Amino acid sequence: MIKYLVLLAIVSASVVVARAADQDTRVVIYDGIATVVSSAPEASSDLWITTGDLLRATRFVIKPQGVCRDELCFPLPKNRKAEFVSKKGATTWFNLSEFAKLIRQPVVADQKNGVWYFGARASEQNGYLASLEAPNFTLPDLNGKLHSLADFRGKKVLLVTWASW
Amino acid sequence: MLYKELRSRNFEIISVAQDTGGAKAAGPWIIAAKPEYTALVDEKQIITQKYGMVNVPTAVWIDEQGRIVRPNEVAFIDDRFKSFTNMESAPYIDAIRDWAANGTKSVYVLSEADLRARLKPQSDDRSNDRLQADAEFALAEYLYKQGKGVDAIPHFKEAQRLDPDNWNYKRQAWALSDAERDYGTNFGKEVKKLNGKPYYEPRKLPEAKKGANDRRN
Repeated sequence: MIKYLVLLAIVSASVVVARAADQDTRVVIYDGIATVVSSAPEASSDLWITTGDLLRATRFVIKPQGVCRDELCFPLPKNRKAEFVSKKGATTWFNLSEFAKLIRQPVVADQKNGVWYFGARASEQNGYLASLEAPNFTLPDLNGKLHSLADFRGKKVLLVTWASW
Repeated sequence: MLYKELRSRNFEIISVAQDTGGAKAAGPWIIAAKPEYTALVDEKQIITQKYGMVNVPTAVWIDEQGRIVRPNEVAFIDDRFKSFTNMESAPYIDAIRDWAANGTKSVYVLSEADLRARLKPQSDDRSNDRLQADAEFALAEYLYKQGKGVDAIPHFKEAQRLDPDNWNYKRQAWALSDAERDYGTNFGKEVKKLNGKPYYEPRKLPEAKKGANDRRN
């Protein structure tokens, strides 16, 4: 009996390894930063990623009170928890695309290339409409030196856009 | 040059190129202009997205406290494109001079009520469409830079569909491929379609002096 169990353990361990090798990867672009993550073994039109990848790609962590990053926490609806979190063996998978829908975050996928883009939420992008504060930005000049709008505090700034096209 | 004249008045110009092609595309123009003001390159149209801009050139006036005092408007600071746009740069340059000299007392600085009215967000649905368009555009741009230009096209098209008033999203995408072949159109054709209707919202500048008889456009 014990022999069988050991054998079973070896077989299932090798199955896990084989699966890991076959697993496709996906690219998650979050806050403008691209991270390569492993995708769930089951085919799905949603994006399921491990909690480890969740932290790497988005800095969000699953806590008892919700899915959190710094002071920001989004509780998961109790009756829908299975739509977001799925435990398989030692790995906990998280449905990042469903989470985006929950928090009204724009999400776009290119299934062919396995790229998922998560955009800015309305509350992040439209905050200036209430505060009237010019949104800050940091961009390079031709020499690669970074400049932020905030560096110009204390001066009047004429911000002008143009393009070569 | 405007900047040389006004920099002593605690006035700065930040010019930002909205160019997926980055320094390679915008660089030659910047080098030719030999700017003394701050000239930046924005490969991801971050300014377009953060400020809700829809075309170039667009300018925003920002005061010493970092607050917007005039939001997005057409900003030709020379007459290079006058024959095409039929817009004179002189009245706008005068307005900038007035602001640099008079600050909050300038007639061109909008009241908070006017400012809020101009910045009035589009309806929730419209705003969500716009944010979704930003995501489509950003994904398209990522694919393009990965050498997947063909795969980028459907996402550029979707961005254009979701945010039809955004000329930056049209013009940039058309410039990255054969617009006729991939989009069935081009910039010239689209401008013709407007049939004389200005594709920029006309700029509204108040009279510089009260009681002036000659009306400015």
